[in-house]
Amino acid sequence: MIFETLISQMPYLAHGLAVAIGLLVCLLSLGLVLGLILAILEVYGHWSLRLACVAFERVFRGIPAIVLLLLFYYGVTDYIDMGSFTAAVLALGLRSAAYQSQIFRGAFLSVPIGQMMAARAMGMNKLQAIRDIVLPQALRMSIGPWTNEFSSELKATSLAYVIGVVELTRQAKYIISNTQGNILIVFGVVALMYFVVNRAGNWALYRLENRLALPGFEHRGDA
Amino acid sequence: MLLRVENIHKSYGAVEILKGVSFEMAPGQSKVIMGPSGTGKSTLLRCVNHLSPPDQGRIFVEGEELTAKNLNTMRQKVAFVFQDFNLFTHLRTVENVAIGPRKLRGFSKSAALDLAYKELDRVGLSDRADAYPAELSGGQQQRASIARALAMEPKLILFDEPTSALDPELTGEVVSVMNKLASEGMTMLVVSHEIGFARKAADEVIFMEGGKIIEQGPPSQLFEAPQQDRTRAFLNVIEHGGDA
Repeated sequence: MIFETLISQMPYLAHGLAVAIGLLVCLLSLGLVLGLILAILEVYGHWSLRLACVAFERVFRGIPAIVLLLLFYYGVTDYIDMGSFTAAVLALGLRSAAYQSQIFRGAFLSVPIGQMMAARAMGMNKLQAIRDIVLPQALRMSIGPWTNEFSSELKATSLAYVIGVVELTRQAKYIISNTQGNILIVFGVVALMYFVVNRAGNWALYRLENRLALPGFEHRGDA
Repeated sequence: MLLRVENIHKSYGAVEILKGVSFEMAPGQSKVIMGPSGTGKSTLLRCVNHLSPPDQGRIFVEGEELTAKNLNTMRQKVAFVFQDFNLFTHLRTVENVAIGPRKLRGFSKSAALDLAYKELDRVGLSDRADAYPAELSGGQQQRASIARALAMEPKLILFDEPTSALDPELTGEVVSVMNKLASEGMTMLVVSHEIGFARKAADEVIFMEGGKIIEQGPPSQLFEAPQQDRTRAFLNVIEHGGDA
């Protein structure tokens, strides 16, 4: 009987999962682009820009995700009209940008200074040297730490539940209300779905990391 | 004159490293700068292409003064070869050589690669074109970085202790490439203690100490009949090993 319920409710769960993944992709993309810009400004920018980036990053890393969601949905929507999904993308995406900026900052700083020097010595301007020489090396080193961010943010999408985004966790709650019970089994299935997406994402990122590894350069502990 | 270095001063914090250095280089000339460590040789080289801009003094390349404004175009005329190579680790050897022409000289991708293969051939590295820098020996890395410099078709190449990170065997392969370039008429300013290279390829040797040029002249004169006691003592050390 419980399985019949689950099967009949599966389209709702699948839809919820699709919304969660959609939210994840949007917030990680926003975080990636903005996080990279923040990192580059923090490492190479004028001190005033550096200060602004650090302030942004401190604020968004210092506030709980759920409070950010409530702030953006109930606070900001009073002034700017936006739906709960957009509010969730902004709240979680800006927060992710703050975290990602620190991943990229560390990666930029771990590229030896000689790389920048050699690029500048041949006549590249700073922007060219960053884009063509430092960035490709830094991005390779970011993939490992970035898998952490992927996992955290996938799980954080479930918090969008509180501002009414009908994602996976909220669909589960609906099913439980409608079918009067089955809490353990429904949340169990939902947990499994998060887990599987998490593993699949991490596996893909690990594959990417290996594919881009430079021959002879990274030994990964087998030295 | 191809290069004119005029009264260069440079300090790091309170320490004055260069205390007024001037010299000139004609096209096709090779000069070797020698002297004890900490004496400002590498700093001088870095001042020449403004990798560390001098506090005072001026640099002219083909009569044009190097300034903050023309820095990037001027650096394309003045290549730099580093002690620790600094090949771009994410690019294959041939891409390391091609990237300058491609990104800075307006070459198409295929033209840049053609030039890169030609320059790799010049330094005897054609067979390693597809290797990544981490797969090359030190001597091969340094030859690749010389090829990278050559691909900019510079007027002048600055060498900052190009063999100091190499063992004697690998030093030989780099020095023979440098000898070849000098004989082909490349203008080279070399900080190095390779007496062999200096004797064979240098038109002039500059001996520096304490941030100043102590003595300069053709290698035969400087090595056989140095005028200054300090030069004599230093040469004694690097030729025979002893107390300077």
